[in-house]
Amino acid sequence: MTRATLCAVVMATAVAAAQSQAYRAPRTAGGQADLNGFWQALNTANWDLEAHEAAAGPILQLGAAYAVPPGAGVVVDGPIPYKPDALAMKKKYAANALREDAEVKCYLPGVPRMMYMPYPVQIVQSANTILMMSEFASALRTIYMNSTTRPPADTWMGWSTGKWDGDTLVIDSAGFIGSTVGALDEEGAVHVRFFDRAGNYHTDGLHVVERIRRTDADHLSYQATIEDPNVYTRPWTISMPLYRRVEPNMQLGDFKCEEFVGDLVYGKYQKK
Amino acid sequence: MASIRRNNAFSCLLLAVCAVSLGAQSRYKAPRTPDGHPDLQGYWTNLTYTPFERPKELASKPFYTEKEAIDAFNKAVEGSENQVVHYVNTDFGATPVQTGAQPNLRTSLVIDPPDGRIPPMTPEAQKREAARIAAQRAGGPLARTWRDDRGTVWCVFHDRAVPAVTAPYGSNYQIVQSKDYIVMIYEWNSERRVISLNGQPHGAVPLYAGDSRGHWEGDTLVVDTVHFNPKRTFMGSPGTPPAVSVTPTFHLTERFTRTADDTITHTYTVEDPATWTRPWTVEMPLHRMKGPMLEYACNENNVDAFTTLRNARLQEAGKLAPPDRVRNVEDPKATVIQREENEAGGAGKAGGAGKAK
Repeated sequence: MTRATLCAVVMATAVAAAQSQAYRAPRTAGGQADLNGFWQALNTANWDLEAHEAAAGPILQLGAAYAVPPGAGVVVDGPIPYKPDALAMKKKYAANALREDAEVKCYLPGVPRMMYMPYPVQIVQSANTILMMSEFASALRTIYMNSTTRPPADTWMGWSTGKWDGDTLVIDSAGFIGSTVGALDEEGAVHVRFFDRAGNYHTDGLHVVERIRRTDADHLSYQATIEDPNVYTRPWTISMPLYRRVEPNMQLGDFKCEEFVGDLVYGKYQKK
Repeated sequence: MASIRRNNAFSCLLLAVCAVSLGAQSRYKAPRTPDGHPDLQGYWTNLTYTPFERPKELASKPFYTEKEAIDAFNKAVEGSENQVVHYVNTDFGATPVQTGAQPNLRTSLVIDPPDGRIPPMTPEAQKREAARIAAQRAGGPLARTWRDDRGTVWCVFHDRAVPAVTAPYGSNYQIVQSKDYIVMIYEWNSERRVISLNGQPHGAVPLYAGDSRGHWEGDTLVVDTVHFNPKRTFMGSPGTPPAVSVTPTFHLTERFTRTADDTITHTYTVEDPATWTRPWTVEMPLHRMKGPMLEYACNENNVDAFTTLRNARLQEAGKLAPPDRVRNVEDPKATVIQREENEAGGAGKAGGAGKAK
């Protein structure tokens, strides 16, 4: 991250903090800060978490329509602190992202990626359980509030427990599947899962702590601290606003993308 | 067999509780959410031993006595002990009685028409369905693409989620409730259904689970669902009639009432003039079960689809023995894999090789 972008991030954070101190979120009937609604990131984190220039897309024929939009980056304390070997792997993954990113195969995107993909996330909040539902692949997170349970098994979306720190929802997530290796990957196994289309990755050592706070009627402050001793030298943090989808007819549509990738994934075993 | 005995002991305990709750429903007052509505949240199963349509011999008997209901339940539990679906479900703790199924005074889940049978299809619908099935069969017995339901696991949508029909296992729901939404997550395929309660009109775009709008009538949640995706079907489950198309005029009206701490009475009426000669109604109780429900992740490394398609191509090329039905072998609890291993020699004698070359 350049000094200018770092300054911009720090200033934006300071402004957001000053604004939020004056703001008191409306309450649910149960008395918690009300996070219900449809939320969506408006940034390029899903292309690359770090600052990046615009670039051509991976397929010539798609031209400008699927080119990479530029972005100032969402990593607060970057660059992402890869271990030396891991940085070399990241570069390799970046070069093969079209084949290796499970987004292409419509796999569940994991955490925090689900929160900043370019698809809406609906939060449905009850006192003991908070659901976060993405349009992408019908991905779903259940946040078990005030629970001391441990992940009963590794899953694609992980196991999340939550608690309130004042008006901030703090979510602790672990128990992630760290590999997409499987029967479908005979010709070059993928060993890790991606945070974005630029090859930034994690393993099953992933541990995420998110802090979500409402800063005004139509914005959430979203922050995630990411830890994975297999890959990074220290924890690091991304930060961004999530914007309310205010359309009166807003609802989650079906983006059941298995429909769009079946011929790609199984093509060579289908009857021609 | 030890595990079966434990189950029977468990179901006896369950029956004592049930016998009381069957008679006590009318005075029950459901717990409330902080918003003041009946609290339907938690984990629920609609697994049951009650047949979907009423057996013909019970045509004029819509209800059992309490004793008959308990006897029928116990008989069904015992009769299903050796059942093999894909797995020996008892070994996975996944049978209805292990999950939370309870006896039912009803002799069928279909409660209207009064004979407990689904009304006839219109002549046009009969032709349409016959043509759809013929087109499927014309493709031959082997899966051609991932779209074929011939042993591939189709991950786009699990249609038992809504409208609810009978299932062998895993027919479980997690319900989460806010002031303006109720979400029902079905265990198969983690299929979710978001029911808006805030008076928003129906949307414009079809959804696989349909476009659901709910409201409270007293303590009953009434849900009106239209705009089902016409690419899906309805029924075709064990215990139901064959699958039928879901047309653009398919209309579902449901009522959910918590009638006991461990029961939500769920009734639904299906109406589609393009398919049936009249509307019909099902009562399918939800019984409390132990959570949590884990992620289903159907599409991720879908080995079933991959293996089915690869084997189908090998079978076409004569490099793999044709698919065989599960046979009754000596050990009824043997898994399908064990049975296949037992029979590997026999398949070789039948002409094909037992394994891929």
